[in-house]
Amino acid sequence: MTALTRPRRPAARRGGGGRSSDGRWALLFLGPTLLGLAVLSAGPILATLAISLTDWDLLTAPKFSGLDNYLQLLSDHRFQVALRNTFFYTIVSVPLGLVIALGLAMALNTKVRGIAFIRTAYFLPVVTSTIAIALVWQWIYSANGGLLNEILGAFGIPTQKFLSDPTLALPSIIAMSIWQGLGINIIIFLAGLQGIPADLLDAAGVDGAGSWARFRHVTLPLLTPSIFFTTVLSLISSFQVFDQIYVLAKPKPTEWTITVVYFIYENGFRFFKMGYASAASWVLFLIVALFTAIYFWSQNRWVHYQ
Amino acid sequence: MRATAETVPQAASRAQLARRLRTVRRAVLVGLLIAGGLVMIAPFAWMISTSLKTRAEVFVTPPTLIPIVPQWHNYADMWNALPFASFFLNSFKLAILNTVGQLVSCSMAAFAFSALRFRFREPLFALLLVTLIIPFQVVLVPNFVLYRLLPHPFSESGNWIGTHEPLWVGAFLGGAFGTFLLRQFFLAIPHELGDAARVDGANPWQIYRHIYLPLAKPALATLAIFTFMWSWNDLIDPVIYLRDIQTLTVTAGLSLFQGQYVGRWPLLMAGALVSVLPMILLFIVAQRQFVRGIALTGIKG
Repeated sequence: MTALTRPRRPAARRGGGGRSSDGRWALLFLGPTLLGLAVLSAGPILATLAISLTDWDLLTAPKFSGLDNYLQLLSDHRFQVALRNTFFYTIVSVPLGLVIALGLAMALNTKVRGIAFIRTAYFLPVVTSTIAIALVWQWIYSANGGLLNEILGAFGIPTQKFLSDPTLALPSIIAMSIWQGLGINIIIFLAGLQGIPADLLDAAGVDGAGSWARFRHVTLPLLTPSIFFTTVLSLISSFQVFDQIYVLAKPKPTEWTITVVYFIYENGFRFFKMGYASAASWVLFLIVALFTAIYFWSQNRWVHYQ
Repeated sequence: MRATAETVPQAASRAQLARRLRTVRRAVLVGLLIAGGLVMIAPFAWMISTSLKTRAEVFVTPPTLIPIVPQWHNYADMWNALPFASFFLNSFKLAILNTVGQLVSCSMAAFAFSALRFRFREPLFALLLVTLIIPFQVVLVPNFVLYRLLPHPFSESGNWIGTHEPLWVGAFLGGAFGTFLLRQFFLAIPHELGDAARVDGANPWQIYRHIYLPLAKPALATLAIFTFMWSWNDLIDPVIYLRDIQTLTVTAGLSLFQGQYVGRWPLLMAGALVSVLPMILLFIVAQRQFVRGIALTGIKG
């Protein structure tokens, strides 16, 4: 990740002589990417902004409506709860998911026979589609014969409507998502842990550092690049939550489960309010941009690169 | 030198105690890991168990893990309830196209960003990274509008809506994640290799094709697996773009199935299990590459 910010080989670039530029070759190699940026990713962000200033149902010509869509969003209760739910989802699932994954990665980083098999168990949900996972969890959470309620019932706890109860619905979905996402963070943490030189830990041990001290002053600082990377990944995916909601909140999510992306989907592709959906998209974009900018800015303060 | 006769046995017993402590801690650790592993596996086991039960058996209290008589016909019933064979073909086709597209376009871009020298390289790469961070849903509307404008000779609508094209063509136009991943890997390839080839008269394409690509196989494998997985598991795009039941992917088909067979848990679980089998097989086969690829590229800096 340091390579992102550190200019490469400034001396060679200053040289000027010999091969000074590969401009044409670069154009060839970057052709597809540039086209993609223009028509599928970076360009459309601007298009979203333009569409958000209109009233457009795709069937008739778009009508310019200024900031009406944004003003309407401000007072739209469903959008407010979608924002609230998305924030709640992020604030709970990102730190919780990372801490659990870090603990498990440290535990999995031991040499015990059969550890590879246990590791596989943790990675399995990562490769499984959210819809398949959501289906089985819907069944586990079911208020009608669901496994979780059967287990709780054995302890005398009354049946819970995990997926429709206002206070339980989102936390239940978050629990499922953390369960599903653990593996990817574990992989990254394991890679980071295995990159920590053993002699560094040994040296700290010889100097009398206990296991907590070694974790706190050797492992953790050296792991900060991994923590940074996993946090960015988790943040991005938590702002994109859609599949879980689409599957678990059928026929449509209540105010306790709707997320911003579902709100965009609902307005754009169910109601065909393209302008309104674009305005919501642009708000989401600004929020994510702000979050990541702050986070990237913070990395100089706490991320240590070897 | 100062070690006296007293301190040596003391140190020895302390070492012994430490060793015993380590053994205990290790046992606790392994116990926790196995318990955690069971929590990870349990939903899959429950999926399999339910898929082989009768409709009545799933509601029995207390719940049982092993079906009394395995209802294998649940799988046939599920397979015939909707055109699952088409769903699978569609998903495979799209996953392969997406994988090829990403491997080609991302490796080319990554090569440019790591081995070529040109104006605007840093700002362009920064722009690409920004798109890595924005949720792609932000551009759902303009992309939909774009595909609606593109003419299509074989579609009912006359444009790309309702066809598979919106679900794979974009993969040939690069991607921030793949480019970033491969660039990290390419940066670790000694520059001298390319320089030496240039002195011998090789052009950048040859360097890319014969030096960078062969050396980057682990990273390419990682990107291939990830892309295949994303494509296979994608839900929102098929839901938005596909109309005709025959064109649905496995995920979209499963979602439809869920809507039509509410509460029929054995059939739904059979469908869920069949839908994830290809990914699980791929993962088991390629697990080493999956993990090693990340270790090599993800965060090395």
